Amino acid sequence: MATVTIKHVTKAFGDNVVLKEFNETFQEGEFITLLGPSGCGKTTMLRIIAGFEKPTTGELYIDNQLVSGGKTFIPPEKRSVGMVFQSYAVWPHMNVFDNVAYPLTIKKVPKAEIKKSVAHVLEIVHLSQYAERFPNQLSGGQQQRVALARALVAAPKLLLLDEPLSNLDAKLRESMRFEIKEIQRQLGITVVYVTHDQTEAMAMSDRIFLINRGVVQQCGSPEEIYNHPANQFVADFLGKVDFFKGESANGRIVFPKMDGQSFAYNGPRTGKVEVAVRPENLYFAEDGILEGTLEAQYYLGDVDDCRVRVGETLVRVIANGYEYKKLTNGQKVRLGVRDFMVFEDDGSLEQMLQIQT
Amino acid sequence: MKSNIAAQSTLQQRDRTPAITKIVLVAVFLLGLAIIVTGWMGMREYALSGFSSEAGYDAVYKLSGDVESAWQKSLKPQLDGLDASSRAAVDEAAYEMLASTWESQKEGGKAELDEALTEGGERSERLYKLLYTTYLVNGPKVAASARKEITGVDAKEQSAFQKALLACITDENAAVPAAAEKAVGSLTGLDRQAMLMQTFFVSSGSTESRLTENANAIKKSVRDKGVQLSAFRMIVNKDVSWLWKLVVSNSRSVILVGIIIAVDALLLIGLMMMEKSWIVDFKWLLILIIVDFLLLFQMMPLVYMLIKAFTPDGKFSLETFKRLYTYSLNLDALQNTLIAATCTMILGTLLAFPLAWLVGRTNLYGKKFFRSLFVLTYMVPPYVGAMAWLRLLNPNVGTINQWIRALFNLSDAPGPLNVYTLPGMIWVLTCFYYPYAFITISRAMEKMDPSLEEASRISGASPVKTLFTVTLPMMLPSLISGALLVFVSAASCYGIPSIIGSPGRVHTVTTRIVEYVSLGQQGLNDATGMAVFLMVIAIIILFISDVVLAKRQYITVSGKSVRPAIVDLRKWRIPLTVLVSLFAVIVVLIPFATIFSTSFKNDVGKSMFEPANFTTVNWTTVFGRIETMNCLKNSLVFGAVTATVGIVVACVMSYLLQRTRVRGRKIPDFLITLGSGTPSVVIALGLIMTMKGNFGINIYNTAYIMIVAYLIKYMMMGMRTVVSAMSQIHASLEECSQISGASWLRTMFKITGRLIFPSIAAGWFLIFIPSFYELSMTTLLYSSTTKTIGFQLYEYWTFTSQPMSCAMAFGILLIVVILNFVLNRLTKGEFSI
Repeated sequence: MATVTIKHVTKAFGDNVVLKEFNETFQEGEFITLLGPSGCGKTTMLRIIAGFEKPTTGELYIDNQLVSGGKTFIPPEKRSVGMVFQSYAVWPHMNVFDNVAYPLTIKKVPKAEIKKSVAHVLEIVHLSQYAERFPNQLSGGQQQRVALARALVAAPKLLLLDEPLSNLDAKLRESMRFEIKEIQRQLGITVVYVTHDQTEAMAMSDRIFLINRGVVQQCGSPEEIYNHPANQFVADFLGKVDFFKGESANGRIVFPKMDGQSFAYNGPRTGKVEVAVRPENLYFAEDGILEGTLEAQYYLGDVDDCRVRVGETLVRVIANGYEYKKLTNGQKVRLGVRDFMVFEDDGSLEQMLQIQT
Repeated sequence: MKSNIAAQSTLQQRDRTPAITKIVLVAVFLLGLAIIVTGWMGMREYALSGFSSEAGYDAVYKLSGDVESAWQKSLKPQLDGLDASSRAAVDEAAYEMLASTWESQKEGGKAELDEALTEGGERSERLYKLLYTTYLVNGPKVAASARKEITGVDAKEQSAFQKALLACITDENAAVPAAAEKAVGSLTGLDRQAMLMQTFFVSSGSTESRLTENANAIKKSVRDKGVQLSAFRMIVNKDVSWLWKLVVSNSRSVILVGIIIAVDALLLIGLMMMEKSWIVDFKWLLILIIVDFLLLFQMMPLVYMLIKAFTPDGKFSLETFKRLYTYSLNLDALQNTLIAATCTMILGTLLAFPLAWLVGRTNLYGKKFFRSLFVLTYMVPPYVGAMAWLRLLNPNVGTINQWIRALFNLSDAPGPLNVYTLPGMIWVLTCFYYPYAFITISRAMEKMDPSLEEASRISGASPVKTLFTVTLPMMLPSLISGALLVFVSAASCYGIPSIIGSPGRVHTVTTRIVEYVSLGQQGLNDATGMAVFLMVIAIIILFISDVVLAKRQYITVSGKSVRPAIVDLRKWRIPLTVLVSLFAVIVVLIPFATIFSTSFKNDVGKSMFEPANFTTVNWTTVFGRIETMNCLKNSLVFGAVTATVGIVVACVMSYLLQRTRVRGRKIPDFLITLGSGTPSVVIALGLIMTMKGNFGINIYNTAYIMIVAYLIKYMMMGMRTVVSAMSQIHASLEECSQISGASWLRTMFKITGRLIFPSIAAGWFLIFIPSFYELSMTTLLYSSTTKTIGFQLYEYWTFTSQPMSCAMAFGILLIVVILNFVLNRLTKGEFSI
């Protein structure tokens, strides 16, 4: 229910610039994910929104009110924002009720009302029967939900989540993912969610901001950035992808390292190119456009992960699980290509894929 | 296939071992019991002899060898040279003399003699040996001049002289040799015979001086009690084996060894029964060694003191306490101790918490500098601080008092501040014990997850509100344990009350204990009664902080390094920095500067810069004295030995605690914690009362007793450092080394040892430094050859000159600072104190 407007925000710790020129507006009720490898600056951005860090330059508005920038700085406690921390930060000296009630107690809300609100929010996170427990008597998932309840109890306009699921096991993570999304839909609040887990980002977000080295690489809906990555980094970070160097000319791309095999291309790029192919977009077909030798197959249940040697290049193919062992290793195969992406080859690929730590 | 067989054979071995182990352990236990019984029998024999000290008994054993050799070399050939009738007459005379001597010393002595002579062996031989011994014990009655003449003669003359003497003994009419005339003088009858006989023995050769020497030792312990038959029996009885002699003269030690063996066997059996495994684990032996040491030197003294306090005359009675605590001086001391410790705790914590918060959690200017400055105070001997404050707040010549008087134009009357009072003592105690709380609290602050506070901020609480609702409650357990540490340290401090309290007649429990000890035996009992009070306080506090608080401890070490959230002080930044600087100047800088400047003064009442008042003579005198250098050497050696032994134990314990799940590893851990929590004065008193031979160990007045005391008190500092370092190293690092093919030992040296080396070095220094300048225990345990620099300083301060002692104090400070610097370098800046 709040908008967040970020104007020319940069952040540097000493000489180390962690955030360069962030410009964006998060709309009311949007679920925004800041995604990127660790150390990319996403948590710093979140902490700037929360008010735990001051931007080095630039301005930050919440609901069109300036909160950081210039001489203005509104401390976190005055921003009416909810936040869930990676470590949950559930206070060990208070029980669940007191933890959740804390933001209301600070606001000096009448006791009866506190009781009602806390009961309500505990119901939302399915913790009603645990109100009297202390954090050391709760599991990690329950503590996580206490933190969520505490962030929600004061009905904030904006909810910030800092990798809230990274300390949970895989099963729990998956179910919490949908719970958080569900709660957001129910309450209709604006959420800024930080994660390094692309699946999490894809599942929950309205918009994803993919950040690397302090720069937003691309922003858009999950489908958009998955299917139309702005650059090689985005393509590589989301899902699986293999890059092949080629030459585009006369409506065809020729791959020198695949014995000079080629396939048709009608796009605008010519000259040296990088072709990015997702392994699930390759398939075995009699009339395939690439020819090679099947070298290995790994059975993963739902899919069959294969390696095919085409010229000097080893190509990864993810085929359906039922195709396993229909082909034998060493057999000549042909590969069809459902979809591929073409980027200009300016020699920066290696550098771009290198993740800053 | 081969490995299969090997596995099978170990399985079979395991099946067989239980029975063997059980049998062996029970046998060891029985052996221990047997040794106890042997020792007990030895003690009875010893009691029969009537000697009061082991030294006397030892002398008897040495003497018995001498008597034997004297008989073989000197007496026997000469007596053999006599004809039968002369020999019989000599024997008769000897018997008469011996009988009359024994009778004169004890009713029924003659009967005892007869009994002793019938005990087998040649009667004549026994007779002469006893005679010889009797004379040695009772001292030759020959006049000194005569003895000189007799022994001055050459061998041939001596032989002729002795023959003549023997002739005189058998024939009353024979002429007495010239040399013996003076000795015999006007004696007649049996007295004359006795003197002749004595002269004969005394003249019997080169062993004389040695025999007299032994005899003196015997005389010392025996004479007052009269000659005891069994001692002579022991001397003449050749059947006694060296082993039995050893047992009798060391019966208490033998019993102690027996008890240790039996207790160890029982402990081992107990551990094995709990573990349900009958394979002797090598680690148990390590545990047993450490436990034995602590039981012997720590638990036995403490338990003995407790028992002694409640059974002053062997029966349960509260007389000691009644007497002690109705005496107004003691009551005052008790009250002073409680008031001083409580006030110091409150003041110290009130100072430490804001300081720790400002230094750890805000953007105060110069945080790092202040932090190391406050921590450094921890390494300064408290008595040095006391000396400095005494110089500053002396009512007459105290520098601060002089300033105040000059500033407010007051008269030259003493005051306005007086350090020789209870508040004065509390102030000095606070200045030197607040770092204990500071360190505990700032450590907890650093370990606290900053997002716990951020969560409060985002929930709408201001920084101040967050401090009180989140930070403070979460730190409460650490805060309380820091405060309790200050309380117990202040209550058991001796250096400060002795320097400040004694002149002002502000007594505390510790100064009373030391005074009682100096009173001797009765004083020891009273000291025990006072010590029990300190012991009870220490145990209660140890229990609270280690058992009650540990369970409520929220802040745990997380593997992640946390960047604490820094609070912006904004407009308060400069004023608070000024305030903290002021505090640092008053509490740290001024006292040290005072020590420094005083060390260059002739007249302590005047400024260092006044003409003719600047001198380096204090330094040259103090450090030019051999005695100072000896004390310094003692301190360095004791400190180094303590630290080295202590760190070895610390490493072993860390390994046991962090890397094994061996049962019983918590026992030495508990004992070490208990030892370090026991007030120094109590430890020292316990050692005095039990380590002077009465329990089979006599290390009283030696360097050992001091090293043992230091170990008990400071070993834990090293242990905690190494343990926490090892807990940071994930066991997988070691497992990875072993999987790479390195042996356990190699892994320990190459991986673990290398990784925790800085902590080992730090642990070594943490034991070394307090041992180096220790005062409380040293005051009670030192002897003339084991004086330490700390005690020397104390003596200089009390008896010699304040400027000289300031020079020495500054020397000690320099050494500590240099060591700290070395440590910092050695561990690449990771550790300093």
